[in-house]
Formats: sequence, structure tokens, C-alpha cells
Amino acid sequence: MSMALFSPPHLPSTLSSSRPNYSSPLKLSLLPLHLSKRNLVLLPTKAVNVGEEVTNSAVKVEEKKLDEKDEKEELGVGSEGVKFGDPRWVGGTWDLKQFVKGGSTDWDAVIDAEARRRKWLIDNPESSSNDDPVVFDTSIIPWWSWVKRFHLPEAELLNGRAAMVGFFMAYFVDSLTGVGLVDQMGNFFCKTLLFVAVLGVLLIRKNEDIDTLKKLFEETTFYDKQWQATWQDENASSPKD
Amino acid sequence: MATIDQAFAGLRRLPSSHHRHSPKSHHHLRRPTHIVAARSSPKLSGRPLRVAVIGGGPAGGAAAETLAKGGVETFLIERKLDNAKPCGGAIPLCMVGEFDLPLDIIDRRVTKMKMISPSNVAVDIGQTLKPHEYIGMVRREVLDAYLRERASSAGATVINGLFLKMDLPPPQDPSAPYTLHYNLYDGSASGTKQSLSVDAVIGADGANSRVAKSIDAGDYEYAIAFQERIKIPKSKMAYYENLAEMYVGDDVSPDFYGWVFPKCDHVAVGTGTVTHKGDIKKFQAATRNRAKEKIEGGRIIRVEAHPIPEHPRPRRVAGRVALVGDAAGYVTKCSGEGIYFAAKSGRMCAEAVVEGSEGGRRMVEEGDFRGYLEKWDKTYWPTYKVLDVLQKVFYRSNPAREAFVEMCADEYVQKMTFDSYLYKTVVPGNPLEDLKLAVNTIGSLVRANALKREMDKITL
Repeated sequence: MSMALFSPPHLPSTLSSSRPNYSSPLKLSLLPLHLSKRNLVLLPTKAVNVGEEVTNSAVKVEEKKLDEKDEKEELGVGSEGVKFGDPRWVGGTWDLKQFVKGGSTDWDAVIDAEARRRKWLIDNPESSSNDDPVVFDTSIIPWWSWVKRFHLPEAELLNGRAAMVGFFMAYFVDSLTGVGLVDQMGNFFCKTLLFVAVLGVLLIRKNEDIDTLKKLFEETTFYDKQWQATWQDENASSPKD
Repeated sequence: MATIDQAFAGLRRLPSSHHRHSPKSHHHLRRPTHIVAARSSPKLSGRPLRVAVIGGGPAGGAAAETLAKGGVETFLIERKLDNAKPCGGAIPLCMVGEFDLPLDIIDRRVTKMKMISPSNVAVDIGQTLKPHEYIGMVRREVLDAYLRERASSAGATVINGLFLKMDLPPPQDPSAPYTLHYNLYDGSASGTKQSLSVDAVIGADGANSRVAKSIDAGDYEYAIAFQERIKIPKSKMAYYENLAEMYVGDDVSPDFYGWVFPKCDHVAVGTGTVTHKGDIKKFQAATRNRAKEKIEGGRIIRVEAHPIPEHPRPRRVAGRVALVGDAAGYVTKCSGEGIYFAAKSGRMCAEAVVEGSEGGRRMVEEGDFRGYLEKWDKTYWPTYKVLDVLQKVFYRSNPAREAFVEMCADEYVQKMTFDSYLYKTVVPGNPLEDLKLAVNTIGSLVRANALKREMDKITL
């Protein structure tokens, strides 16, 4: 699919003739490309087309290169990347003094601000800089403010669900076996059921979670299968020898 | 592009649980027959065993040297003797010792790694290195030529030619020789067609292996690695003196990392991907953009691209033909390291041949090559699996990458990472530290994912 990108039709004919004609899908994968200067200029042109939206600053670099068209293909000249700006973002971190509300730091606001910054960076990847390093570390936000913000609203739902499941299980066990709620607590089978219920509520929060878990399992064993292919081959051919 | 992200030491013990699935279990049943078979193999009269090694990279060079030293008549076929393969060129410290490499082929000694997260948090790893420890950066043309030279002085015949195809022995006479057809580059314009009969073949001819094709070894999934060699001003080069950079993020690569590696007098800036090969130019532009300040004013002196295997081929041995190195698919996930594993597999395969032929005096059989495979998988499967898990956990999304970088700031992680990279051994960690690390990592992952959920709610 990407062969077109890598070996433009205008490669010198000597190069293409020395390249054998492979028919496996690996043929995309080039042998070393020794590009002449002419091609060097051509390649980045394509980069411009592909990466137009994503890296504005890079485009400028490339255009400049094309204009010059001589040996001075300099990188990064004259391109000013857009940098993230926020009055509270000072020296590569959030200035916590500006987040004080009622005498203590408003961590919720810090989380909000950092989320905004990261969202912004997705669309505007920034150059990393040694003079202006990012030193903000999410671990400075205390654990309880994460719990308060992200777990509590969900905990309500999970607790409610667990209670419901538990109640109905107890009801069914009672109605089927005649063992009362109090007696069930001492029963190993019923304890196991309780454990399964809690685990199930934790793991399967949405219907999609079942699929996700299934996929995760397949993913973890996929590489194993790829490695084992050689040995399956041996088993298949073993009757022969 | 070997780098050093085999970090998560806590996962290191994990492979032991996978041993159950690992290939060796099949093998216990068959082993006795192999030994009997090797002993009963016919003695060669009047000539030593002839083995051809196709491809003169680290795998081919190492294989040919071992074969020649072991008394086997060895032919090494390489199409381009001054080939400068596009490659990160990083080798672990243990390779210098194990392959007895002279120190002057190492251009640079990298002792510092910078990992840069999607939100540009930069973490320096490598503070735990001891004074004599480093990652060597080599030029492939130098390393490959050196290893071939050694093979040649050990008695191997180096042939400058392009391997075309080979004729397998007919089914009714499986012990007949293999006939190789190649184009000898003897100075004439198009070369001369030649052929060569050998008893066994070692395919070390890289990702586009023709040997693999002729034994119908099947294909593997591969990543494309794209790299630009950029000559940057001296003042900027000083920064990269002994430092390599790794950039992670969706902008740079959806499933790999972008890098800036110091080379002899320039830097190599590149990135790779399996899943979005068509967008590689976009990722390359993004990598350049992220490193912009540090490479500003640079001039691109070369652009190169290369496939990187993701997993071994479905068949690595058929009859008396075995694949090694990239041809077999021995590149690690996560770090994309291949030089050491190529050289090592070449040597291991050659050792199996030397042993099976009792120093070149007997015919070899498929069982001897199977022995090499068994040993290889047993030795290195844990390493490959750990790196696969790391890649799956930490390269899957930006939040995971943020957590990965946070984790790498930990000194214990750095120490374990470098130890396992430099020495290729699995040293058991400290259980208490492992547990602490696991807790911290989960903490990082949870925080980063919580932020991600928040980001999804915002519109800018």
C-alpha cells in the first residue's frame, strides 16, 4: 500500500533494475534506498501532502526547503511552533498558587486544566525543549482527589448493582434450597457465589466489557501462537519422518 | 534500533508461566530419535560437509565464521559488500564480549537515554549505569564487513553475488545436494550466472529472504521503519554526544516510537509503525517536529526505510535449510532490536551444524537444525514475550505512554532495564521493589486514563 510513497517512479533506473522482483507482501519493504539529492527533494514534497494538517510547522520547513532547492535544506528554519499557553502554566508546570480556593489547593481545577492541556496537545504536538522542560507530574495530585472525582460517582452505581444481585441470589438460593439467609453465610458454596457476584460487578460494568475481556485474552496469546507456528508444522510433518 | 525499553521488571517473571505453551514441550518426545538419527547419518568420504550461508550481515557473518572454524566447507554469498543497511545500529554491551568485537568499530557510546512522553515530559534514563557500561552505536557497513572478514580468515569462501534461487533435492532422494543459483559479480556489467552444490543452507538474507521463499517458509507481519540521517550543526551535535532520544505519542507513531540516535558524525531521526504504514511520512514529520529545537538547522543527508519483522516466520527450518536473523524474524517487539539476536542465531545455528556433522565429517539432517530452533526458543522466548507484553501495555494509547514514561523515571526500573538490555540475562529482581513498582505503575495508568476520560468530555 505504501510502496508508492517509498519508491517513487522516478527512482534512477539503475536502482530499480538492481532490485529483484519479489512477490511476497514484503516487497513493500525496501532494500536500502540510496536516494540521490534529487530524490531527497522529492520525498519531502510528499510528506507535505500527507502531513498537512498535523504538523503545520513542519510544512513550513519543507516549503522552505523546496524554495531553496539547493544544498541548504535546513531543518526548522523560520518555523514557529504554536505553544500551549495558559496564565496558570508557568515554567513547565501548573502554578499551584493560582489554584488556591478557600485556603487549600483546588485539585479538581488542576485536573481540569491538565486535561485541557493534554487535549490541546493532541491536535498541536509541541516540540520538546531542554530550555523549557515540562516538569508537571500528575502524581503530585493527592490520591483522594482522584478517588473523589472518578471513583465515587461510579461506586454508587456499583454498590447498588452489587446489592441487587446479592439480594436476588440470596432469594433464589433460599427459595430453591430452603436455606435461610443467615445459614447461607456459613455455607462455602454460597460464599463462592458472593465472591463471583462481586468480581463480576467489578469486571463487567458495561455489556461491551465482555467483548473487551475476550479480546484482551486473544491479544495476550496471539504472539505465543505466532511463535508456535514452527512447532505445529513439525507435528504435522512428523509422520513423514 | 535497539533501545532500552524492556523496562517493566515486574513483568519479568511472567514468561515462566508461558513455558507451558512454549515449544519445548513438543520436543521432549522427539529428542531421542534426533540423536539416533544424527549418529546414523552417513559419513562423508573424501570431502567435508559443504554449507552455504546466504547473506553477509551479522547473522550470516557469525554463522559462516562458526561453520568455518568447526571444519565445515563454508560459502558466504553477499550481494553487496559495502552495503550500509538502514539500521539504528545499537548493540548491547554483551555483544562486544561474546563476539570479541574490537572497540574501534563502535562509533559512539550511548550512556544516556531521554524518553519523551506525548505531553513532553522528558525522563533521563541511564543514571544507574556503571562507568564501563554503555550502548554501542555501530555503522552496519563497518560491523558487517568486520564479521565477514573474520569468517573469511577462518576459512569461509566469501562470494560477491546475488542469490537467485535454489533447487531442492528431489523427494525420492532427500539426501541429494541443494543446487544454488546465483549471479556472480565478477566485474562484468551484469555479472555471471553460476551455480553451487551444497549439503545444507543457512538463510541469513534478511526480511526479503529468497531462501525463505524457496522453502515456502511463509510470511510475517512487519513494521516499516523510516529514518532520515540529518547532519546538524556542531553546537547541536554536542547535545547528542552520548545521548539518544525516544519519543512516544500518537503523533509520532500509533504503535512504536520515534527516535533520535547519534551516529558517527550525524543523527538518525526516524519512526516506525505496523498498523498505519501509509501514514509513515506524517509520523516522520511529527517526529522531526518534536525534536525540532534540537535538530534545527540540520541538513538531511540520506533517507532510508526498512521492514522490521514482528514475529518469526511460520517455518524456520525445512529439510537441511534453516533461517536465522531477520530472515527468520528474530526482532524484538517494543525496542525493535535485531543485530544481537541475528548474530546470536547465526552462531547458534552454525554450532548445531558443526555438532551434528561432528566437525564437518558427517551429513547433517533436519533434526540437527531442529535442535537449533529448540535451543533458540528456549533461550530467548521469555525475552521476546516480555517485550511483546510491554509493547501491548504501554504503546497502546497516549495515557499508557504517559504512564510508561512516568514509570521510567524510577531508578529501579532503569537499573533493571539496562541490565536486561546490556547483558541479555534475566536477573531476578527484588520482590519488594517489584511490588512497589507494580503499585506505582498501576497508579500511573489509572491517573493517565482518568485524565483521558476527562479529555474526552472537553471540547476545545
